[in-house]
Amino acid sequence: MGEPLTTPVPRGGRSSAPGWRRWPVLRRLLVRLAGAVGVLWAVVTLVFFALRAVPGDPAEAIMGGPGSQASQAALDRVREEYALNRPLLVQYLLQLRRTVTGQWGDSYSLNRPVVSLIREQIGGTLLLAVLALILAWTLALLFAAWSVRSPLGARLSSGLEIAASAMPHFWLGALLIMVFSTGLGWLPAISTGSADALILPVITLAVPVAGFLGQVMRESLLNADASPFALTARAHGLSETGVLLRHTLAHAALPALSLTGWAFGSLMSGAVVVENVFARPGLGRLLMGAVLKRDMPLVTGVVLVIAIVYVLVTLIADTLEGLFLPEAAA
Amino acid sequence: MQFSHRTFLTRALPGAAAALAAALLLSGCSGSTGTSSNSSPVRGGTLVYATGDAEPDCLDPHVGGNYPQALLSSQYLEPLVGRTSSGKIVPRLAKSWKVSSDGKTVDFTLRSGVTFTDGTALTANVVKANIEHLQNPDTKSSTGYLAVTKVSSVEAVSTHHARFHLSSPDSALLESLAQPWNAIESAKALTRSQKENCESPVGTGPFKVTSWKNQQSVTLVRNPNYRPASASYGTGVANLSKIVWRFIPDSSTRYAALKSGEVDVIDNPQPSTVASALKGGSITAVQAPRPGSSNRLELNMSKAPFNDKRVREAFVKAAVVNPGITSLFSGTVKRSYSPLSSVEPLAYSNSSLFKTSLSKARKLLDEAGWKTGSDGIRTKDGQRLTVTLPVSTNQSIPAEQSLFEQIQASVKKVGFEVKIEPLDLSSWYSALAKNAYDAVSAPYTKIGPDVLRILYASDGTVPAPSGYFANHAQIKDASLDSVLQEASTSLNTAQRNAAVKKAQQTVLNAYAILPLYDQQNNFLVGSRVHGFRIDHAVSTPSFAAAWVNR
Repeated sequence: MGEPLTTPVPRGGRSSAPGWRRWPVLRRLLVRLAGAVGVLWAVVTLVFFALRAVPGDPAEAIMGGPGSQASQAALDRVREEYALNRPLLVQYLLQLRRTVTGQWGDSYSLNRPVVSLIREQIGGTLLLAVLALILAWTLALLFAAWSVRSPLGARLSSGLEIAASAMPHFWLGALLIMVFSTGLGWLPAISTGSADALILPVITLAVPVAGFLGQVMRESLLNADASPFALTARAHGLSETGVLLRHTLAHAALPALSLTGWAFGSLMSGAVVVENVFARPGLGRLLMGAVLKRDMPLVTGVVLVIAIVYVLVTLIADTLEGLFLPEAAA
Repeated sequence: MQFSHRTFLTRALPGAAAALAAALLLSGCSGSTGTSSNSSPVRGGTLVYATGDAEPDCLDPHVGGNYPQALLSSQYLEPLVGRTSSGKIVPRLAKSWKVSSDGKTVDFTLRSGVTFTDGTALTANVVKANIEHLQNPDTKSSTGYLAVTKVSSVEAVSTHHARFHLSSPDSALLESLAQPWNAIESAKALTRSQKENCESPVGTGPFKVTSWKNQQSVTLVRNPNYRPASASYGTGVANLSKIVWRFIPDSSTRYAALKSGEVDVIDNPQPSTVASALKGGSITAVQAPRPGSSNRLELNMSKAPFNDKRVREAFVKAAVVNPGITSLFSGTVKRSYSPLSSVEPLAYSNSSLFKTSLSKARKLLDEAGWKTGSDGIRTKDGQRLTVTLPVSTNQSIPAEQSLFEQIQASVKKVGFEVKIEPLDLSSWYSALAKNAYDAVSAPYTKIGPDVLRILYASDGTVPAPSGYFANHAQIKDASLDSVLQEASTSLNTAQRNAAVKKAQQTVLNAYAILPLYDQQNNFLVGSRVHGFRIDHAVSTPSFAAAWVNR
């Protein structure tokens, strides 16, 4: 066949299809890439006009924040310097050009390049989100497996998942701090740079997402468990654990995999709250401060980076899904 | 999982001792000004301070000029003069001063031998450079420059003699110069780029800035050449070798970090935690009302319904404030009946104007022509008696927001419909600039009664170029203006005091405001910390004499 792309599911072979149709994964990737560019353009546009629609003068953000008593001369200078006196459409086009050419400018309020601020803060947020994603996946899988293995587990985990997915981050974070920092004194409440300071924020961020993922996984795991191939496997004398590990789990994981893009986005937005509660540096906290101060270049930069991460993760998840399950891509 | 290394005993024993000290201290004076201790100071050690105020954008308080900058910069910068708890102006970088008989020249004699942490000396030329830095539009000062608007030039008469030439007499000049936003920085450092100066301003204070990690902390180390102006500002070089100034926005996290010993001092605690600390325990509460205005609701006199004095009086008479202050603030604040903070020596109070009387309120509204409608809300000429109250969620703590809700409920009984609009800071300022409010609470921190001129003079209704104006009651009264003018320029103390009193009486009698309580800083201090004090200029914390147990 000479197919460069092999998939673990042999049903996926389509050697007879002509041209790019023979490359379903690649085609899907190209379509997605085009979509990604569209998403990023929409994000820049939305952020630009939303920030202009909310009350608050960007010139004031530059002059030391809202309520500034800056003189007319100072305000005029700033409007000139930042092109705030140009027509809105011109400003928008300038914004697009700056975005595409990578000239993201300086933060109004922090007087530092947006790119270096983001570079400084992104690591903490990504670390938090990745660890939370791993924990969320683990929890969701455990709950899903438990529901298949016991009827009591099914009832309990279903209730727990709903409760978990409905938990607001700020509430859960405050609760964990109250119990484990103030009460038991086991873990630090605030970021100290040491690894144990990551535990509470990661749990806070992971639990609601684990609830959502768990609901999806349990559903598909139960379906897979009742399917003919699981019955066949059992008939061949495979143990329950064997069925779970070798067959049904993979089926349960697929829908959850496609949700991972969404989950990562949700984790990034959850980071806004979690970073504030646990006083952790990161993109979320940077964004929150920037929005309150109407710091346009910084808001645009952070939102754009979060969108890029979201798009990338979705692309990767989609591609993986396509590899595992080519018919989903058709 | 790592467990706390501090055992129960090592935590509890000093805690008990500090609690005892705190109890003794607090029984001596409510509104205490610091923590005290009998044991001798420990040299060295790091103190962690956690602030709930915003992270400053620039560590040089000349740039912009807000309270978070004041909190931090008073650790490393000193102003020309200081202010005591009784409102007296005392020497800091200036050891003496003299106002000319026409009030248009002020001569400052600077202390000699004072050096900045970059090694340069304090001279009259440095003072001149600082005033010019404040006045330069490029500096983007929005607070400090207001204090020096009447300064037309500064003349360096000799090395330690700086002469301020004023365009007109300014009785508030010294009080204004005591503010952290007007502190003196190294002139050599000011010639660097603004970006550089924002990251590492250079002063003469007990500490100096060494690093700033965005969104995490600013690190301050002891200034080995610090020379306090008097015992109020330390005994010499600071005991602490380092302060880590952390930014922890969430108040329950700050409190948890204090309880677990991760941080040593916190600000902006919730009233309930202040109340429990005041009752005793290992954490000490230090309360420090800010100078300037009291926290008050300003009633917008520029449009209906509050352009009618009877309606304003009815609102004030119907508003039940005291029970809310007692319960919501857990007894940590006192009701105010003055436009000025209780730490202003010239504050004038009149509680008789603010006695609640629903019947009086109803009668006044009837007289003003507001008739009760079917839903209990009064109407007049088809207009409902609606009071729009925008609330800044960045400035009003939850207890204050609840207080507004209680006022909302109480005035509803006589037919007011209060619409509380929670807004973020930018939207809130924007609502004020658009005159889209009937009542608002906007505290203003400034040293001295000159704050009255800013808040209640007619020209305070004219928006600054940014749209900001300070006279939110929009009271325009020619006789009040002349009284305020007299207060601001009079060089005769008795005359000035009389004018300040007259101005406050006018504002209160006009029912332009409903005073609520003092705008107050609260600090919670952990048991490791000793010698924590308040700098009474604008009630910022002072660590010049503080030390920590190892």
